[in-house]
Amino acid sequence: MSSPLLEAQDLKKSYDDGRVQALRGVDFRIEAGEYVAISGPSGSGKSTLLHMLGGLDLPSSGQVLFRGAALGKTVNLDTYRSLQIGFIFQAFHLLPTLCALENVQVAMLAKHERSNHRVERAAALLEEMGLSNRLRHYPNELSAGERQRVAIARALANKPAILLADEPTGNLDSVNSAHIMEILEGIREQRGMTLIVVTHEQDIAASAPRHIRIRDGRIEA
Amino acid sequence: MPSQLSFTGFAWKNLWRRRLRTLLTLGGITMGIGAFVALVGFSRAFETEWMRLYTSAGTDIAVVQTNFVKSELDQSLGAKIAALPDVARCVPMIFNLMDLTPDVNAIVYGWPADSYELDALTFVSGGRFHDGQRELILGQSLANDLKKIPGDTLSLEGTDFKIVGVYHGGSALVEGAVIMPLDQMQIISSMQGKVTAFHVRLRPVPPGISYDDYVKRAESEIEAAVPQVLADPAADRAANNAVVELAHSVAWGTSSIALFIGILGIANTMAMSVFERTHEIGILRALGWKSQHVILLILTEATALGFSGGLIGIVVGWGVLRLLAALPETGNIVSASVSPLHLVESLLIAVASGLAAGAYPAWRGARLSPVEALRYE
Ligand SMILES: Nc1ncnc2c1ncn2[C@@H]1O[C@H](COP(=O)(O)OP(=O)(O)OP(=O)(O)O)[C@@H](O)[C@H]1O
Ligand SMILES: [Mg+2]
Repeated sequence: MSSPLLEAQDLKKSYDDGRVQALRGVDFRIEAGEYVAISGPSGSGKSTLLHMLGGLDLPSSGQVLFRGAALGKTVNLDTYRSLQIGFIFQAFHLLPTLCALENVQVAMLAKHERSNHRVERAAALLEEMGLSNRLRHYPNELSAGERQRVAIARALANKPAILLADEPTGNLDSVNSAHIMEILEGIREQRGMTLIVVTHEQDIAASAPRHIRIRDGRIEA
Repeated sequence: MPSQLSFTGFAWKNLWRRRLRTLLTLGGITMGIGAFVALVGFSRAFETEWMRLYTSAGTDIAVVQTNFVKSELDQSLGAKIAALPDVARCVPMIFNLMDLTPDVNAIVYGWPADSYELDALTFVSGGRFHDGQRELILGQSLANDLKKIPGDTLSLEGTDFKIVGVYHGGSALVEGAVIMPLDQMQIISSMQGKVTAFHVRLRPVPPGISYDDYVKRAESEIEAAVPQVLADPAADRAANNAVVELAHSVAWGTSSIALFIGILGIANTMAMSVFERTHEIGILRALGWKSQHVILLILTEATALGFSGGLIGIVVGWGVLRLLAALPETGNIVSASVSPLHLVESLLIAVASGLAAGAYPAWRGARLSPVEALRYE
């Protein structure tokens, strides 16, 4: 039997010397190309889990396996993030001093690549997001929905295998939310990427083929 | 297509965000490199001129008392040195820095009228002085500064001297100097029977021995024949005499302090900048930047500060050097010339300063946990 794309094995994470237990033993498997929604009350550990899946942080115990290899042991976290992961955040996290085109390129600066290739791909991705007339706009000149689309283009810049989105629609109105979710699902379908979305919006969670509920650091049955 | 973002372009944008702070930081490192270019350049030019003083006259060895500044030897020792087999000529000299006018000071030499060193001078007007006469000759650049010509009078230490010649010399140290008969110099500086140094010209190098070995042999001969003296090859004397050494240490000392302040400025700026950008560094890490890339970014920014400060500092330092050469107080002692090597060295020091200053902030930035940095607001 081949290994799944991602596997969480008894993931635990505690902060402040164990006084805060953000994750209390989480197990699941995610196959390549899946679309998984993760929901749960505030403080239940969703972001913590996503950070661990994306190699931003290590669990206190247990492990995350990527194609069967343990993150932080067999797989270097930095390399894993730069090759396999695209992050999307609720607060967009664009760099305010860079225009849309530069914000997408900044993700590719860590790679050895010709700068004209970088800018071409950045422009193509922004065009795909319907932002071809916003390339030179700075984040404060963009609407919230546009900012999130720049962030999605940036997450795709390094052609990751997995897209991790932490409340990607949390700062958007319902129209923009629907648009962003449509884009994310479209990306998954067209590129065969794996999409994991943390959300507290029930309709988004319900529309995903698979839904993981978290409460108090554990998966609810 | 414009708007290409390169790694260095990103670094520049980061520096440009805090224009005023960046400019102030540049000011600091500019001062450091400027001081280095000007002061060390000045002291090196001084040494070069000193060397020319010997080479232009064909002096192989300088004989002094152990400490050059206070060097005082009996004039009678000269005969002993002149009698040595390898010595062709041995002439006494006195050397002193004197105020000519309230604004202008210059080196004043006392040479005997038959000194071989006078042969190295070309007279522009007038001619040589005579022993026992209140006469002197002026270097061309000094004569221009003082607006004196042969026939005029120059007063030194309360004694009037007649200017009998104006000459052109092989070193700024004679070009901007006054030369008078040794006996007159002994009178005005109360050094009767004493001299500062003997300059020795050796006989032609005998076959089968190198110049350096020959000079060494002659040195030992002199030091054996005349106790309590130091016989130095001209090149060593130019580099090691107390005046040049003092110039070197003042130059290096002052510019090291200025450079150190410049380095602290960059370090402070970069540390603040890393602190301010904690959240951004978290974003970059989430986007796939490795900790090495964060280090590289901070070091690039710090090095850019060092390099630009170095470039501006070179221009400023060069300007100061030219100014020093143009001033009557300093212009007669040294001519300003900066060797390309000195400029390259200054730029390397500037870049190294940037790297050194950026090292700790870069390490701090790289050590940030991506998650903690992302949570930081
Ligand atoms: N660095 C930290 N130090 C201390 N406690 C932390 C830290 N990070 C997270 N926690 C705690 O861990 C728990 C889970 O946090 P997490 O951010 O994963 O929740 P969440 O499910 O994403 O909540 P929300 O829906 O509000 O974003 C919370 O109680 C939080 O306070
Ligand atoms: Mg969260």
